[in-house]
Amino acid sequence: MAEVAYFGIRHHGPGSARRLLQGLDRLQPEQVLIEGPSDLTGLMAALVHPLARPPLALLAYAEDDPARASFWPFETYSPEYQAIRWAVSHGARLQFIDLPTTVTLAREAEADGPALRRDPIADLAQAAGHADPESWWNDLFEVSGDGTDVFAAVASAMAALREGQPVTGNDIPREAQMRLAIAEAATGEGPVAVVCGAWHVPALQARHPKAADREMLKGLPRVKARATWVPWTTRRLSRHSGYGAGVPAPGWYKHLWDQGAGQGAQVHWVTRIGVALREAGHLVSTASLIEVQRLAVSLAALRDRPAPGFEELREASVACLMGGTPELWSLIEAELLLGNDVGTIPPDLPLAPLLDDLERQQRSTRLKPEALPRELLIDLRSDAGTARSQLLHRLAALGVNWGRITDAGRSRGTFREKWVLAWEPELAVALVDNLVWGPTIEAAASALLVDVMGKAATLADLAGAVERALTADLPKAAQAGIALLDTLAARTDDAAALLAALPALVDTLRYGTARDIDRAPLAALAERVTVQSAVALPYAGRNLDAATAAGLSQAVSAAHRAVLLAEFPDPVHEAWLAALANLSAAPQTARQLAGCATRLLYEAAQISPKDVADRIGLALSLGTPVAEAAAYFEGFFAGASQRLIHDAALRAAVDGWMQGLDEEDFVAALPLFRRVFSELARTERQMLMQAALSGPRSAEVTPDEDHPEWESHLAILTRILTGGGYP
Amino acid sequence: MSEIQRPPAEQVFAHELGALKAADQAERPEGWVLSPKAVVTYVLGGKAADGTVISPKYVGSRRLIETAVATLATDRALLLLGVPGTAKSWVSEHLAAGIAGDSTIVVQCTSGTDENQIRYGWNYAQLLAKGPSQDALVPTPLYRAMDQGKLCRLEELTRMGSDVQDTLITVLSEKMMPVPELNSAIYAKRGFNIIATANNRDKGVNELSSALKRRFNVVVLPLPTDIDEEVAIVTRRVGEMGGGLSLPVPKGTAAEVERIVTIFRELRDGKTLDGKTALKVPSGSLSTAEAIAVMVGGLSQAAWFMDGALDAEALAPTLLGAIVKDPVQDKLVLEEYLEGVLKKRRDYAAYYTALTNLL
Repeated sequence: MAEVAYFGIRHHGPGSARRLLQGLDRLQPEQVLIEGPSDLTGLMAALVHPLARPPLALLAYAEDDPARASFWPFETYSPEYQAIRWAVSHGARLQFIDLPTTVTLAREAEADGPALRRDPIADLAQAAGHADPESWWNDLFEVSGDGTDVFAAVASAMAALREGQPVTGNDIPREAQMRLAIAEAATGEGPVAVVCGAWHVPALQARHPKAADREMLKGLPRVKARATWVPWTTRRLSRHSGYGAGVPAPGWYKHLWDQGAGQGAQVHWVTRIGVALREAGHLVSTASLIEVQRLAVSLAALRDRPAPGFEELREASVACLMGGTPELWSLIEAELLLGNDVGTIPPDLPLAPLLDDLERQQRSTRLKPEALPRELLIDLRSDAGTARSQLLHRLAALGVNWGRITDAGRSRGTFREKWVLAWEPELAVALVDNLVWGPTIEAAASALLVDVMGKAATLADLAGAVERALTADLPKAAQAGIALLDTLAARTDDAAALLAALPALVDTLRYGTARDIDRAPLAALAERVTVQSAVALPYAGRNLDAATAAGLSQAVSAAHRAVLLAEFPDPVHEAWLAALANLSAAPQTARQLAGCATRLLYEAAQISPKDVADRIGLALSLGTPVAEAAAYFEGFFAGASQRLIHDAALRAAVDGWMQGLDEEDFVAALPLFRRVFSELARTERQMLMQAALSGPRSAEVTPDEDHPEWESHLAILTRILTGGGYP
Repeated sequence: MSEIQRPPAEQVFAHELGALKAADQAERPEGWVLSPKAVVTYVLGGKAADGTVISPKYVGSRRLIETAVATLATDRALLLLGVPGTAKSWVSEHLAAGIAGDSTIVVQCTSGTDENQIRYGWNYAQLLAKGPSQDALVPTPLYRAMDQGKLCRLEELTRMGSDVQDTLITVLSEKMMPVPELNSAIYAKRGFNIIATANNRDKGVNELSSALKRRFNVVVLPLPTDIDEEVAIVTRRVGEMGGGLSLPVPKGTAAEVERIVTIFRELRDGKTLDGKTALKVPSGSLSTAEAIAVMVGGLSQAAWFMDGALDAEALAPTLLGAIVKDPVQDKLVLEEYLEGVLKKRRDYAAYYTALTNLL
């Protein structure tokens, strides 16, 4: 029997990786066994390919359901990665020994998130009061000289931790499988090094009858699985991304791996903090960096720690460089701790998952990729139609424009979508580029949209992205977007920005009813944006130039339509109407906006025709400069000139104002009248004229005695104007 | 009982300091009465080795106090920042008591503080009689602290003129103060250091020069993180102050305190307590101290003008004053908060009505 050495490691622990390398150098094993899916041993070679650059992840997915997938990420400082490199460069036999993916993928996931793996060392560290498990590991194991003792110490710590706890869930078959693999390897050449999560060491060392282990593995359900390497990002290595065995700060770990843990590394880290702050536009002197280092050492001494760790350096930086405000730290935190690295995979690997998924969905939706443009009409009432629409929308979200939607009226509100499909080979490349976002089209589109939403600067952009997420039926992304909208809406002061977001929000809200998402937060958000813009509007409507006033009037009209459609509860609706009333009544409001608000109130039957005639009369009265009156006029009638035909009271008010204009003012206002009345169709204009002429004349035409022909001219003019035609 | 209205910390807590000192085996920086770790225990509370209970002087983050003590141990000066009512002076007094055993070397900085009150002054009778001499020199608290190797506390540093502040630069970086009139200098003994406090809201007063700022490590003392804690602080202080001002404290006060603190916290943090709605933040600081002031103002209004009934009606005017510091911006913030949040809460209806009427 060959000698078997167990190296219980901490996944993604740089200290652990360094100790492991020392251990391997000392042991010089002939065989290296690593905790990883045993059917993927063949893929290990790609990891040490000269063109491969971590972070990378092994991806395995069920062939008929790529959404069922597991990831095994590797960074430079992952002990498994270092073990693989060591084995390849020393010619040792290399093997993964965990359950094959065919089995793990068939089992239900134990918890949310792919391939959740424990970090018991972090638990221990937390129990000891350390936020950063790596600092704890450093204090406990790194500083205490001899290398191999570490693994014995860790194993006994784990044995104590596991004592009295029954083995549960996936651990039962996994540990059985690993025990069998180790036993088999032990019959071969030795020594054998076993590299596995520290948690498993006591169970692997314990004696178990082989027959029982074999019995345990018998008859486990299996699925067909496929696997490949995918590029990974440092951000997704972090625990915040939902990766169970993730690390709190990939950037810090990378730094520890690159620089070691001595004083040089601390100084290097402090310098990086300084550089990040300078890039963010803050003045940081070298003298202050020296003070950071001194304070960190003093803090470590106060806390009985052998050397400053991550926390001490952070707190010292906050006190010395950031004027005590932790907010500044959070500004540079993301860049410093998460990093922006994306791994690269060797060029000759199959990049199957997304293309596989596309092919599968093309079959199930019966959409063939064809190069020649073809029109496709989708009926959203049928399941097949919905599936097609979803696929095309999701691809579009990924930047794979296989189909282009053509009906200008947009699909919402109707049940039809009209697409033009054309497949180009570049689209496959574009699709594969999205692998970093996820292994299936759905997951990738969702993750990509969430990323886009995080970067959206305006409410309208964000609302648009949420709408896209909903049309593509990506509820997770949509919900993330709604949460972001809420925060952004709170920070937005600009009434125009709030108003601009409202129509998209209400559309989304109405469309959302057809989809399976929780409408409550969205409804609350729409109400809130409405109330917020209602509060902001009266102030926003003052001191505007003509162009801004015109833009805001349009936004208010659009928002008003949205508010009517949304059927908000009464208080919200009333708040909106109150804002319009304020706009209409306040003399400071830009005139065009005031006109617009008056019309909206009038249309909503909030003010009587007599009232409106009074208001128009006042706004258009002689005391008002003609430019302002004209702006009011435009605001009132833009898009509503038909009202004049049917509404006698309104017409009388306007008529009276117009006839009261002196010639100069009338000529000045003429272009404006033309603009307003040109909205009417020819027949409508004639109807208006008829109505105007049949009503009571407010000013008599005095006969001109010097020109007796005037009477007959007037008769002809009247005839032309009233549509009687030229005699 | 002592006749002194409020004795300094090292006298009030003499037994705690004594117990800590007796058991303190750890190494201490030169000039320190206690080791850094014992100082942290003294401030945050705990138990001395002989079982003496050490009362907590400051309730809050341990990390902050550790950073403060570690700073003083590196002989860097410490600047405590915070909005009013976050216990800056209190912490500074206790740090000085714990580290130097003497918290009485204090300079209260004001806009009237001149250089002679920071460096040294002259006894003019002596000066005229003997000319410039050591006898004619009148030491300041800072001078004495340097001379004796003790901690000097500068209260409200930023209220002092910038030119006067800058006299500290040499003291902080070279630990000496030249006396050009005597062609000599005073060198600080080991153990000398400075704890300054300043208010980080009133930035406009006298901004620290960057040269001076660089010589301080800064610790920002935050407002209470937890609503129960803050409600407890406010209730206790309102009770105390009500007693001091002979104002009756009616029964329903606790409920009103909770509402006022809720409004304060929500506006200050920029989100509702349930974390579901984000809000805009008004320009005022809305500190715990201000919440206390609003409550006391309400009590006074209720006692003198409203037959002792403390309700939204009585509190609204002072509440409005505390929130709306900028007549345009803050009014908008408050309106949005009223319409968006308070309007929907039934138990805040009285506040909604009272505040809306006042706006």
